[in-house]
Amino acid sequence: MPGSMVAMTQPVQQSFNPYTENGGTILAIAGSDFSVIAGDTRQSEGYSIQTRYAPKVFRLTDKAVLAVNGFAADGNMFVKKVKQRLEWYRHAHAKDMPIRAIARLIQTMLYARRFFPYYVYNILGGIEEDGTGAVYSFDPVGSYERETCRAAGAAQSLVQPFLDNQIYFKNQTPAAGTQFPQHLPLTSVLPLVIDSFTSATERHIEVGDGLEIYVVVASGSTSLQGLQNLRGVQEVTGTTDGERVFVIRRELKKD
Amino acid sequence: MSIMSHNGGSVIAMVGKDCVAIASDLRLGNEAMGISSNFQRIFPVSDRIYLGLPGLATDVATLREKFRFRVNMYTIKEEREIKPETFAHLVSSTLYEHRFGPYFIEPVMAGISKTPTGGVKPFIAATDLIGCLNFAKDFVVAGTASDKLYGVAEGLWEPDLEPEDLFETISQTLLNAVDRDAFSGWGALVHVITKDKVITRTLKGRMD
Repeated sequence: MPGSMVAMTQPVQQSFNPYTENGGTILAIAGSDFSVIAGDTRQSEGYSIQTRYAPKVFRLTDKAVLAVNGFAADGNMFVKKVKQRLEWYRHAHAKDMPIRAIARLIQTMLYARRFFPYYVYNILGGIEEDGTGAVYSFDPVGSYERETCRAAGAAQSLVQPFLDNQIYFKNQTPAAGTQFPQHLPLTSVLPLVIDSFTSATERHIEVGDGLEIYVVVASGSTSLQGLQNLRGVQEVTGTTDGERVFVIRRELKKD
Repeated sequence: MSIMSHNGGSVIAMVGKDCVAIASDLRLGNEAMGISSNFQRIFPVSDRIYLGLPGLATDVATLREKFRFRVNMYTIKEEREIKPETFAHLVSSTLYEHRFGPYFIEPVMAGISKTPTGGVKPFIAATDLIGCLNFAKDFVVAGTASDKLYGVAEGLWEPDLEPEDLFETISQTLLNAVDRDAFSGWGALVHVITKDKVITRTLKGRMD
């Protein structure tokens, strides 16, 4: 048979794609002496929901929280390796690594895999050594920048322009003789984060189910009041002195 | 690159209290290159109905003339102005005539109609490029910045806005959305349609 002869002589190429995209969205906003890092908890592949609770935001130290978005397997492995490097640092130096050093560490870890990257967008939030709130955002190969706010993931295009308007006051003019604040208070930031995720949930199929908001507060910050008696808040601080870390959990629409 | 984003551009329409607003950017491009910063894609259909045509610029011109002709024929035959609801179905059936070789336009319309009791009814609608109608009660968006427009509008819009507040809401939504879209921007145009007048304003925007 001529057909089978062709099949025997022609080479057949096999292929394997080691990556997939697991949806979801993450977001971080820096205040003057606090930092908010949030992510939804839905994990999906195509049109299927794999789980309604897969955390994307992780506490690294008492002053640093990392959010990972993209390919979940790579994300989890990357967080595991960052945590391991931070533990080694603690054993060598008897202190937690400063956030700007963690940011540089993440860059070198990502760039080390330049030709087989972690398919992940990282956002690192926390408190700088001088006590100011910080947000660092990365691309998958380690290019990074310190910013005041950043959204990443499936609904980045929905959330980022809203944040430009509400956090950076883009396209707005201050009233005569006044100025827009450089940093917003926590009481303004939290509703903006929740609104961003409810909006993204409404219009994006890959966003929803649950919301986890981590709040890192500098020691002696006035932002502490009003945080402790918030609905669904839980303290996850590791040590007793210095920065404190809280997590707020909320439900998002499940459809 | 896709035909829908060949020339760029975005349109949004919103409902307020006894008023509606429709707005668009002013960019005309050839893929990444900017050609004009004064390309209007919103056209009056009657005193109280406006039509936005984001998509392929050549089809903007064609459809504008086609709808002008068809609305004129309707007005002559029926001896009355076309209602917004009727016009939406005219748009839909005109586009569906070309089901298998469509115009690359996703129309957005906004208008208000008078009810028999003397009240005012705001109306907005949008269709896809083959005329599938979407009668939304809040806002409709289309064009290359549509995902950004959805995100900002979902965060800023609220029910029963007065004309001046609706103007501010639609302007902020459009401006901040197109600033994150390379194919839209270069200035904007806003129409707010109320019971007795239409307020038209040109907005300055980022020129990069």
